Amino acid sequence: MTAPPEPAAVSLKPARPRWRETLGLLARNPTAAVSAVLLLAIVLIAVFDETLAPQGPNEISVGDRLQSPSWAHPFGTDDLGRDILSRVILGAGVSLRVGFLAVGIALVIGTVIGLLAGFYGRWVDDVLMRIMDMLFAFPAVLLAIAVLAVRGAGSGNTALAIGIVYIPVFARVTRASVLGVREEVYVRASRSVGASDLRLLTRHVLPNAAPPIIVQTSISLAFAVLAEAALSFLGLGTQPPNPSWGLMLAEGRGFIDLAWWLAFFPGMAIFLTVLCFNLLGDGLRDVLDPKQRTLMAGGGR
Amino acid sequence: MRATRPLALAAAGALALTACGGGDSVDTGGGGDGGGDNTLVAAVSAQPDQLDPHVTTAYASFQVLENVYDTLVVPDPEDLTMQPSLATEWETSEDDLEWRFTLRDGVTFHDGSEFDSADVVYSYNRIIDEELSNSFRFQNVESVEADGPETVVIRLTQPTPNLLERIGSFKGMAILPENAAEDLDLTTEANGTGPFQLESSDASSTVLTAYEDYWDGAPSVDGVEFRYITEPAAALTALQNGEVQWTDNVPPQQIESLGDDDSVELETTASVDYWYMSMNYARPPFDNRDVRRAISFAIDREEVAEAAWFGAAQANQTAIPEDSFFYYDYAPFERDPEQARQLLAQAGVTTPLTMGLMVTDEYPETVTAAQVIAGQLEEVGITVEIETLDFATWLDRQGEGDYDAFFLGWLGNLDPAAYYQEQHQTDGPNNYQGYSNPQVDQLLQQGATETEDEARKAIYDQAAQIIVDDVSYLYLYNPDVVQAWAPGLSGYQIRADKAINFENVELP
Repeated sequence: MTAPPEPAAVSLKPARPRWRETLGLLARNPTAAVSAVLLLAIVLIAVFDETLAPQGPNEISVGDRLQSPSWAHPFGTDDLGRDILSRVILGAGVSLRVGFLAVGIALVIGTVIGLLAGFYGRWVDDVLMRIMDMLFAFPAVLLAIAVLAVRGAGSGNTALAIGIVYIPVFARVTRASVLGVREEVYVRASRSVGASDLRLLTRHVLPNAAPPIIVQTSISLAFAVLAEAALSFLGLGTQPPNPSWGLMLAEGRGFIDLAWWLAFFPGMAIFLTVLCFNLLGDGLRDVLDPKQRTLMAGGGR
Repeated sequence: MRATRPLALAAAGALALTACGGGDSVDTGGGGDGGGDNTLVAAVSAQPDQLDPHVTTAYASFQVLENVYDTLVVPDPEDLTMQPSLATEWETSEDDLEWRFTLRDGVTFHDGSEFDSADVVYSYNRIIDEELSNSFRFQNVESVEADGPETVVIRLTQPTPNLLERIGSFKGMAILPENAAEDLDLTTEANGTGPFQLESSDASSTVLTAYEDYWDGAPSVDGVEFRYITEPAAALTALQNGEVQWTDNVPPQQIESLGDDDSVELETTASVDYWYMSMNYARPPFDNRDVRRAISFAIDREEVAEAAWFGAAQANQTAIPEDSFFYYDYAPFERDPEQARQLLAQAGVTTPLTMGLMVTDEYPETVTAAQVIAGQLEEVGITVEIETLDFATWLDRQGEGDYDAFFLGWLGNLDPAAYYQEQHQTDGPNNYQGYSNPQVDQLLQQGATETEDEARKAIYDQAAQIIVDDVSYLYLYNPDVVQAWAPGLSGYQIRADKAINFENVELP
């Protein structure tokens, strides 16, 4: 009945919100910071793709084919005379959309499965994780190809396919993290005062099990962009004439000794995006790991 | 014949390339002593699916079989008219219903056995009785019989002016020794009368050796190795390095620059192939003639041909290429987006209209061309959704009629009946689109039995005109045959029907 003493509650709050502290620590890691800025730029390009692209990505002009990079076409033109810069910009949208959608699917489903398996243990754990093991046993790209063979090619199905492939990864990461967290004193304390399972899971278990999941998200985005490129390269992902980096790479391959720019620029775009997600993931792992975090925060003082 | 694409993406081919890239690098080609001595190495894009000439439909198989088997008559390399081969002469009866072929003397099969009329009767009856892929070529044939060892008589149910083309246009009509199918596993073994005999065939190459007792004189090379190199760029490099002496796997974008390249001799000639778009009559609004005509008016064939072939293809609004006697100069569709829009409005179609266009990565030119077509149709309010499929799925969906439109080609046709009959006759075996026009049916029937060339041409011209006007097929272009070989290689002749014959080749 008595309200908790106001001053005590205030003193329990950290001076800065935790996420700002995390960002601050991340900013002190130069590679992670640069990656984050580059990724932000790529995301902005993807969001404003149609405004930014100097030309329509599918404006064909066979007369202007295979022009080397110039002021009019900074990245040159491809075998159908399309502006490669415009296609790389539009391709960012395709790649990131598929990437985020795929990781979104894997994140939501995988985390729920991992939470349930880790929290309830016993037969729930057995059933869910054996299903995950089954999915995990397939090589990732092979499984994605199988999904696309059933559902048909296209970027929506590509996202779904990649998403399904990465569900077990998130399930495993979440479960491992939850196994540690559920035995913590605060969880048991909360349970002892009668908190419901739902409240325990959402208020205590998930937030404290989150760091590895966040790191996994960043790294999975790199894989998803790469997988989309690979599937499109094989002709199963994004369908022509829509620009996708992987598809552009496949189309440019035959012209490599005649017009290097066809494959070079989409290749660089894939390379940069994947590298940035990976480096950001590395940085996040350091920052979110409690032990490392204390070290870094201490060093900064 | 619908042949498998010369540039098939086969993993096996890529592996083979890696495997042979390393060891022979010291061999500067030509007269080197590295295993090759007097053997011609030809880089082809794909492995034969099998070696039974009566069963396979793959171009990769016929590249090899052309050199192993003979037919009664063969196309002249220059003008593709039928010339004597295993048959030396023939005569037709007064009513055109009986053909008597006199067979060549002194011909032996690779195993040494004598060739005679029983082999011809056996081979033809095998195709007819087992309803093999070319049995339609004998649809007017009542019987094939021997009249002594040196004469074969073919009796017909109706006059068939193109009988010679039907039995001789390619090695799918090869003469096998009697009972070959029982004595041999024809999918992997061969016993022909041709200039080369099959030595071996595996996942990296097919090897032939010269047949010394060939009836037209032994070939001048000791043998031919067909090496599978899938990537055109890799095949070209192998030729430039001297690892191979001949290839037909030339990237079209490099045709121009190769003209000045001294390390390669490049030749092109108009082929007999044509590429077309077909719309499904069972899927409205493509059953509407105005809609199909609108699409035909919206397409710039020159641009499609240029995009796919870099100048090595000729836009054409009918099927038969310009060099043929049966070519018909008829081009009613000049690109006209305004008229296209009008026709669409007239047909009551609300734009944007979505049209699925089915293509296959087995033939990459279909993917390229489809993108150009999509761009052109976008301008008149038709949104094209390109679907790139593997060829097996593609064929399934074509068979089931599960498509709005597709883009593909027919290869190796010589006679106008082959160009038009199976594709446009009501319920014709290759009339997947569902075209039916009684007038065309009648003309095609007439053309099939007319024996006088000029009159035949007039009939097929009429049929072609209606087919083009109705847009049963939307014809686009005839590509060139493009082949390259080592400088100094002689005795090889590039041919419009893409038959590859190394009988008279001499290495530099």
